[in-house]
Amino acid sequence: MINISETKTKTKTETKTKIIDVQKIEKVFTLHERNSTQVTGFSDVSFSVNRGDLLALTGVSGVGKSSILKAIYRTYLVSSGEILFHRSDKSVVDLVTCSESQILQLRKREIGFVTQFLKILPRVSALQAVAAPLVETGVSEQDSLYQAANLLNMLGIREELFNISPLTFSGGEQQRVNIARGVIAPKDLILLDEPTASLDEQSSDRVLTLLADMKEKGIAMIGIFHDRKKIERVADKTYEITRKNTEKPFQAIREVA
Amino acid sequence: MLLEVQDLSKIYGNSCGSCLALTGEEHGRAICPECASVVAINSISLTARKNEILGIVGESGSGKSTLLQLIYQDITASCGKIFFNGLTDDRNQPLNILKAMPATVSHLRNKEMSMIYQNPHLGLNFLFSAGGNIAQRIIGAGERNYEKIRKGALGFIDRIDMETSRIDDYPENFSGGQQQRIQIAKALSSSPKLLLLDEPTTGLDVSVQAKILDLIKELQQEIGFSMIIVSHDLGVINHLTDITVVMKHGTLVEYGLTDQILEDPQHPYTQLLVSSIL
Amino acid sequence: MNSTTFAFIDEDAKKEIRRSLLKAVALPGYIVPFASREMPVARGWGTGGLQITLSIILERDVLKVIDQGCDASVNAVNIRDFITEVTGVKETVNTSEASIIQTRHRIPEHEFAKDEKQILVFQVPTPEVLTTVEPDTAKQKQMHANSDYAKLWVLLYEDTSQYGDSRISNRYPVLINDHYVMDPSPIPKYDIPRMDNSPVLQLFGAGREKRIYAIPPYTSVKPLKFDDREFKVESFSGISCERCGAQNVFFDEVRRETGNHYFCSDTEYCDQHLEKSNAS
Ligand SMILES: Nc1ncnc2c1ncn2[C@@H]1O[C@H](COP(=O)(O)OP(=O)(O)OP(=O)(O)O)[C@@H](O)[C@H]1O
Ligand SMILES: Nc1ncnc2c1ncn2[C@@H]1O[C@H](COP(=O)(O)OP(=O)(O)OP(=O)(O)O)[C@@H](O)[C@H]1O
Ligand SMILES: [Mg+2]
Ligand SMILES: [Mg+2]
Ligand SMILES: [Zn+2]
Ligand SMILES: [Zn+2]
Repeated sequence: MINISETKTKTKTETKTKIIDVQKIEKVFTLHERNSTQVTGFSDVSFSVNRGDLLALTGVSGVGKSSILKAIYRTYLVSSGEILFHRSDKSVVDLVTCSESQILQLRKREIGFVTQFLKILPRVSALQAVAAPLVETGVSEQDSLYQAANLLNMLGIREELFNISPLTFSGGEQQRVNIARGVIAPKDLILLDEPTASLDEQSSDRVLTLLADMKEKGIAMIGIFHDRKKIERVADKTYEITRKNTEKPFQAIREVA
Repeated sequence: MLLEVQDLSKIYGNSCGSCLALTGEEHGRAICPECASVVAINSISLTARKNEILGIVGESGSGKSTLLQLIYQDITASCGKIFFNGLTDDRNQPLNILKAMPATVSHLRNKEMSMIYQNPHLGLNFLFSAGGNIAQRIIGAGERNYEKIRKGALGFIDRIDMETSRIDDYPENFSGGQQQRIQIAKALSSSPKLLLLDEPTTGLDVSVQAKILDLIKELQQEIGFSMIIVSHDLGVINHLTDITVVMKHGTLVEYGLTDQILEDPQHPYTQLLVSSIL
Repeated sequence: MNSTTFAFIDEDAKKEIRRSLLKAVALPGYIVPFASREMPVARGWGTGGLQITLSIILERDVLKVIDQGCDASVNAVNIRDFITEVTGVKETVNTSEASIIQTRHRIPEHEFAKDEKQILVFQVPTPEVLTTVEPDTAKQKQMHANSDYAKLWVLLYEDTSQYGDSRISNRYPVLINDHYVMDPSPIPKYDIPRMDNSPVLQLFGAGREKRIYAIPPYTSVKPLKFDDREFKVESFSGISCERCGAQNVFFDEVRRETGNHYFCSDTEYCDQHLEKSNAS
């Protein structure tokens, strides 16, 4: 087992405090190139997540799941609503209205995003790509590379691939590199867009184990999973997006790693 | 705040006094209908923090180069203010560096800020060797010890992945990509807080371009400085920058996180710009 | 040569040159323009120095003129004859006796009087020290204003890295009062340390370029050099003058089939030294 967040000393008692509070957000895209057509990405979305919990977003394709994650990360600008982020120092920032610089700060240490596709420069090895976010937080290159190797090992990436650019990897391998990259640096909230989509049973299992470990450390997550079984295994709550949004408690069946 | 630009304008020509009000994005023009002055930059405000990387995109003639030149004081502004790194005047008020004493301005240009130009002839002195060019900035930043200057120059030649044995060669004997590397070494040798780059890789081979961008990114992470980079290449902007500024007709039409600008552009012009590369 | 006014130049012109001189003295090392007049010698033959001398000379002055250390060279003689003709002042070869010394390419070997009463007038061909590194005159001005001499230092850096030391043999750039860097005229490096903190008023005139600059008495004059490098002047160790036997002075080197021969560059010094050694 590896230690993803050495600098964090979260304890179980802390896990019930709120980390994010999404209130009535709505996203309408105006496509100026298409006669200013308006497309609703999502509307009337409200939920909150506690530290150490994983909230699963569910709903049919096109209902707005990815868009919600992007809105939290400020890759999309919401049209209305609030996204209150509770920082570990107890201060609260509205991710909708705070400055770009503030978002950049939060992205560095507090909010992470594991996107569906790996976006890295060519000519960077898998190990370097995974270590980079940790190096950026000030951890030495050597330590970062060491932790990156552990993480890739845990996710079942063969060692012979470590020094090759992940852009040459298979889809599933790329996805695991992407996850490793997304979780290596300690963050309080991690957004996951279909982290297990193109993985086989065994690899998915490794990823889910990793997510469960992260929850233990008090990290909160909002994830999109297509597979009901996976949701049952790691999620504490689901948030089903339909025309009429409902948030219903979910009995998670947790397995011990 | 490292850099704070407030209401900065640059008018070419004898202004009629209404030029700023009659031009800009909402009027769809940069040329004043009253007096035909060119409003290259119209009331632009923006900020850059420590270690932030800003990208500037926009169509040809929208004022991108002019904006960098105003910040670096290659040219003088028509009006506006620029504050830099908490500099104050002798009454402890924030110092508008556009009104600073020549000595302060040259300190800013020689030490605190560096500019990398698309044309290496603007950024390098072709009469000086590669090492001499780097030395010029180290000296400009106040160093007068030969060994330290030489070591510094050698260190930067090495850092840009160039054979240190080439330190005494002259710029004309280097390839275009190498000349840009030398510009980068020169620019960084004074440990500036702000690096301004105007299309630093335009006109180079794609493979050379990529390597130079990698180098810039690497050095930025290693050394830590803020950058403002002008590029018409959204790939460059995507790889390199945190925040993107979109300009049109001398005005700033959109400002946002780079991923937001690329994935959820708001302004019609930005949408056009982004859709045209997809 | 006829002239109705004392010292050839009319009073208005003198006034103007003196005004430029005053400004030059007030801003040591700063280059001041002046309206150079036609002189009865060709430009490039010391007309700048000549105009300075003629504007400041008084009847009671005693004049010495040298060219490369020599009082008897044709140029020196021509200029001295002209000045004495239009002023009637006394002339001398004796450095300590002279109140105005006009010179090209040398500073006399003899120490100057400490009373700040002697004036050294240099003839200057290229007054702007920055021309070698910056052709644009507007930029030169700005560089002077900002004391931005990085480009001159780069030349020094390049010489040091490629040749081990500066290759400049004369016109070595000097920093005046820690502000302006100026061209000391084509004097050898040997003379550079002798400009520092000198009791004489040093005036520089460039006729063709219409420029004047100055170093007041007891002013700091430092050659540009790196902190960790020595400023090396021409070395004549073990060499003595073939004529008078003097050592530790600046020598003219004469190459003949018989080998290199050395003579004092300052002929007056040589004469005096010869006299002394003959006497003893
Ligand atoms: N950048 C965009 N510009 C315009 N419309 C967009 C943009 N992003 C998303 N949309 C629209 O918003 C809606 C929600 O899309 P989103 O990708 O969030 O769905 P999703 O629930 O993640 O679907 P899937 O399960 O297929 O991934 C869709 O109708 C989509 O077309
Ligand atoms: N010296 C000048 N005199 C008059 N107009 C000028 C001058 N310099 C620039 N301009 C004008 O100012 C405007 C902005 O020019 P600028 O060079 O900043 O554009 P840019 O955005 O960098 O364009 P490009 O992408 O082509 O480099 C243009 O209309 C240009 O013609
Ligand atoms: Mg999706
Ligand atoms: Mg340009
Ligand atoms: Zn006008
Ligand atoms: Zn002799």
